[in-house]
Amino acid sequence: MKKMKGNRTSAIVLHNLLIAVLALIWLIPIVWLVCTSFSAYSGMNTSTFFPEKWSISNYIKLFHPDTVAQFPQWFLNTFIIACFTCVISTMFVLMVAYATSVMRFKMRKPLMNLAVILNLFPGMLAMIAVYFTLKSFNLTNSYVGLIMVYSASSGLGYLIAKGFFDTVPRALCEAARIDGCSEARIFFQMVLPMSRPIVVYTVISSFLVPWMDFVYAKMILNAGISSKYTVAIGLFKMLDKSLINSYFTQFCAGGVLVSIPISILFMIMQKFYVEGITGGAVKG
Amino acid sequence: MESQKKNTALQAVKSFFGAIGSFFTEFGNAVANGDLFVKLSLLWMGAGYARRKQYVKAVIMTVLEAAVIIFTVKFAMQYVPKFGTLGTVQMEKVFNMKTMKSEFNDYDNSFTILLFSLFSFVVWFASAIVWMKNVVNVYKLQKLEEEGRHINTFLEDMHSYIEEKFHITLLTLPVMGVVIFTFIPILLLILVAFTNYDQNHMPPNSLFSWVGFDNFISLFGGGGLTVTFGYAFVRVLGWTLVWAFFATLTTYIGGILLSLLLNSRKTRMPKLWRTLFIVTIAVPQFVSLLLVRNFFSNGGIVNTICSNIGLTGFLRSIGLVTTSYIPFLSAPGWAHVMIILINIWIGVPYQMLIATGVLMNLPVDQLESARVDGATKFQIFRKITMPYLLFVTGPALVTDFVKNINNFNVIYLLTENVYTTTNQAMANSQAKEVDLLVTWLFRLTQDYYNYKMASAIGIVVFIICSVFTLVAFNRMIKGDREGTYQ
Repeated sequence: MKKMKGNRTSAIVLHNLLIAVLALIWLIPIVWLVCTSFSAYSGMNTSTFFPEKWSISNYIKLFHPDTVAQFPQWFLNTFIIACFTCVISTMFVLMVAYATSVMRFKMRKPLMNLAVILNLFPGMLAMIAVYFTLKSFNLTNSYVGLIMVYSASSGLGYLIAKGFFDTVPRALCEAARIDGCSEARIFFQMVLPMSRPIVVYTVISSFLVPWMDFVYAKMILNAGISSKYTVAIGLFKMLDKSLINSYFTQFCAGGVLVSIPISILFMIMQKFYVEGITGGAVKG
Repeated sequence: MESQKKNTALQAVKSFFGAIGSFFTEFGNAVANGDLFVKLSLLWMGAGYARRKQYVKAVIMTVLEAAVIIFTVKFAMQYVPKFGTLGTVQMEKVFNMKTMKSEFNDYDNSFTILLFSLFSFVVWFASAIVWMKNVVNVYKLQKLEEEGRHINTFLEDMHSYIEEKFHITLLTLPVMGVVIFTFIPILLLILVAFTNYDQNHMPPNSLFSWVGFDNFISLFGGGGLTVTFGYAFVRVLGWTLVWAFFATLTTYIGGILLSLLLNSRKTRMPKLWRTLFIVTIAVPQFVSLLLVRNFFSNGGIVNTICSNIGLTGFLRSIGLVTTSYIPFLSAPGWAHVMIILINIWIGVPYQMLIATGVLMNLPVDQLESARVDGATKFQIFRKITMPYLLFVTGPALVTDFVKNINNFNVIYLLTENVYTTTNQAMANSQAKEVDLLVTWLFRLTQDYYNYKMASAIGIVVFIICSVFTLVAFNRMIKGDREGTYQ
């Protein structure tokens, strides 16, 4: 008996040790990021893993903008863009998801197929043309342009929300219809309140888009002035070959500051996603 | 079974054309059998409504018709006639005798001609559909009146937009957004692929014009100076496919293995471990990838450690490395391998989440009965877990493959500014050995303004992705609802 127990314990210990090692490997770059952000130097520490002198000067420098690093302004830019994108995208996604899931009309299947086809185009391609169109209306390098770019086509990302709406029992909608409810009322007053997990998921994931996106911002804010950048572009520019030695640690500090709220939101979003997918719309 | 599968694709195409056909027959029927006012609606869109006392609709339709006509005359006519040539008047400074100054002549801007002509075509197409639908509707109204049934007042019509026609209310704005910001731009770029719009032909200073299939010919290796595009294209395409394959496979398997490891009963504090892994994907890619790029840079920390422990020297002695540092991200072979490895780092936690979610729904009773029957863990994995996983995530594998073909972030953030190509032929077409088709495309537009080749490449990417998607989905069954696991 004792021998079996010993084997079992050692198996458990080994198992958890393996996981710990893997987790360590996965987190090494993140640890380096945090450590370097507390470095007293401004360039990259190439000779030692941990910085030789520690200080919080980088974080302080972040809030004293100069011509290259204007972190507070970038943060504000991205925040404003994210708020508007969030509102418009969520509306679009939920509207499309509800229409394709619950309602039945002739063009439903063709529309869904068209969405699949449009998704197959490299998104960047459309952005090139959009950039020129926006330029002719003088909307590049502006909030409005980016907001439109992020939210206008968001309806194409309706699939997850649709999957959730598919689990709404049709019998409920039928009963409401018999009681004289209009379709609009069913949507706003019955289905939406029931779909809290997926609504929160959609809200958070569309809020996160401008923070995490890099490509589209770089295309639209092309020749821009650095005060109009989003956080993504600003931090990227800090690592230009000419600037990297003076700004690398500030980049790390900026990266940490940006990652914290994103990570928190991301994990909240995951929770709601799981709740939505596994719970469905029927409770109990 | 085989014929069934072929039928679904064929049926889809057939039903699409069938729908178009029935639309036209409806229209023809309405015109043939309609009374005077229906026929009048061919010219004046409001006629039918006026007759049936739906005055508000009549007014709306008339205004719409007038708007389209004014649009055509004042706007479209400026651009559409020049569509065939894309402009003939080069921008020049001309001395104006009246104002005694050098001014620009009334030049043509090829791009605006292209853009606004396309826009006009779309407007005309939409108007044509509205026009035909209008006649059909008016005919339906006539039938209603003949049968003595009630004709809706305007208010009642509006009410239907929150009733049976609520889907129209819901879909209008999102669909318009998609059309303007995705559909029209894609059409525009497909057109650009057939022009010679590049750095030497940049509006407004110069014009560009149609060149037919020239860009595609040079892309696939046809003649002359631009033979290097064909050279680069084949290599970039090859790497794109190889990358997509390995990236998808490694992260998929890695995700499953990690998920099984964390879900096992032996694990203590699974939530903690899972959170730690999720932290790596919660950090935005532009932070983590840029960081890792500098981590592995030629003078960076990993290289320093490697030379300190003698790894660099060892590799030099066996000839794998020719420089004093290990070129993790700056030499061809190394960069390719490192990119795939780093992608594993980025991608596995995400796949682990998905696999965990799927495994949570694994029918427990199947597992229990297998255990009762005495199956070993390995047998359970092979015969129950893996098939179930493959079944549920199979379609996702295909979409992941397509997504990886377009995976811009990983390649761009890891190699831009760091990797320079030493292959002159590649450099002539601004390509690098580690480029995906999409990163090549991006560089061609952002840095070299070579829009024509970028569009051509974009179209090829689209065709490749579509072929893979269609082939893969034809092998799967009608994906939505399956009875096997319910």
